[in-house]
Amino acid sequence: MIEVSGLTRRFRERTAVQDLTFSIGRGAVVGLLGPNGAGKTTTLRLLTGFLPPSAGTVRVAGFDVFEQPMEARRRIGYLPEIPPLYDGMTVREQLRFAADLKGLPRARVREEVERVAGLTSVDGVLDRLTANLSKGFRQRVGIAQALVGDPDVLILDEPTVGLDPIQIREVRDLIRSLGGRHTVLLSSHLLPEVAMTCSQVIVLNEGRLVGFDTLDGLVARHLPGRRVTVHDIAFLEEIFGKLVTPA
Amino acid sequence: MRATLAIARKELSTYFTTPVAWVVLVVVAFFSAQVFAGALDGFRLLTSRAGEIPGGAALLDRVNLTDAVVARLLASVGLLLVIATPFLSMRLVAEERRSGTFELLMTSPVHPAEIIAGKYLAALGVLAAALALVTLLPASLTLVARGAQGGSAVEWPTVAAGLLGLFLLGAAALAVGLAFSALVATPVVAALLSLLVLLGLWLAGMFTVGAGSAARNLASGLSLSEHLAPFLQGRIALADVVYFLSLVALGLFVAERAVEGRRWGGA
Repeated sequence: MIEVSGLTRRFRERTAVQDLTFSIGRGAVVGLLGPNGAGKTTTLRLLTGFLPPSAGTVRVAGFDVFEQPMEARRRIGYLPEIPPLYDGMTVREQLRFAADLKGLPRARVREEVERVAGLTSVDGVLDRLTANLSKGFRQRVGIAQALVGDPDVLILDEPTVGLDPIQIREVRDLIRSLGGRHTVLLSSHLLPEVAMTCSQVIVLNEGRLVGFDTLDGLVARHLPGRRVTVHDIAFLEEIFGKLVTPA
Repeated sequence: MRATLAIARKELSTYFTTPVAWVVLVVVAFFSAQVFAGALDGFRLLTSRAGEIPGGAALLDRVNLTDAVVARLLASVGLLLVIATPFLSMRLVAEERRSGTFELLMTSPVHPAEIIAGKYLAALGVLAAALALVTLLPASLTLVARGAQGGSAVEWPTVAAGLLGLFLLGAAALAVGLAFSALVATPVVAALLSLLVLLGLWLAGMFTVGAGSAARNLASGLSLSEHLAPFLQGRIALADVVYFLSLVALGLFVAERAVEGRRWGGA
């Protein structure tokens, strides 16, 4: 569903992302993990076509993000680092606007707004201004907006940042439930997050891919002989530490 | 098209839920009413005293309400538009980039030209509202006065030509402002730069005192005010229409390129 090949992005002399190659299958929920400044946001911006690559290609649902941008973008739902909400709009207006941008058939807009609002539990605040919402609600409206039009691929940049523990659990459950129907790529610096929601993990460090595997695969490779459960997430921190610090 | 209209609707609602459009409309209405009242008073003085000065009767034959009052009003509105439009256009793109919503637009299946078109349409809507307010002033004259032959007190074809000229002027100014809003990062800087350029173009004719005739021709060819003048006298010349439309095209082209280029520049 997402195929990335030789992806590189330079900002003047600085190389933010270097020679990334990976592919993500349909319906997978994949975590993009890395320390701050590892190039997570840049990678996601390259995948959504917000930034052009210096080299390499990205294909989403078979469409090259730069050769056929409109086709590719129709199949991507994207939540940037800061939820892109207009202060002067109510949640309903915001979601309608997103539906208009995506070119949804007019007759389906109302129903689609209700659907994504229900999924993300923002149906209670549909008529409030986004400017007056708490950070957790803004984040959820951002996710709802990404879900508009039922895109094949969801790209979520730190979807649980700024949420309280209960909201985090809700969003986690939501993301897990989206897998299968959608292919989800989310970035995070929270290891439990990734451990609990994702089937595969991509680890970035200094713009390079240093690990891409299933959780079980990572454990087998880096902590051989260790038995772990989802409730014991310290193991991921250990692996993470091994991956991002030079041996 | 769908996205363009959605963006236009969004911008219009932003204009009227924030003070921006209201301030511009109030400023235009207030100052044009002042100019109108002043011009009307001058005209009244002239007509009532014309008999007392030598040659006054001949003078009266050559002035009329439309030229003496309405044309003067519209000329002042031209300058008002040049000053006010940068504030209408300043945040159109710059604000999106500041607040992060630019990322939503640029990752949606919408071409940059559609984004620019939607924003521009909304700005034209506010311009049209401002000119509608101005039109109320000459319209009020027709309620209280009659022409010499008993017809309308105002020569509407002349006024209509003048309003068309003002609309073209405002459209050109908004396109220039939109380009600056797309080029620079902060709305206030965009407003100041477009004000500088527009005032420069408005006053272009004045910068060539003592210069050669070639420079003078160039300056008046570029001048906003000199291309507006024929409209105010009721003359619609192709050259003037083309001048304003070229500015519109140039502004929109630069804006579209800048939005597309933002992508390449990085964030």
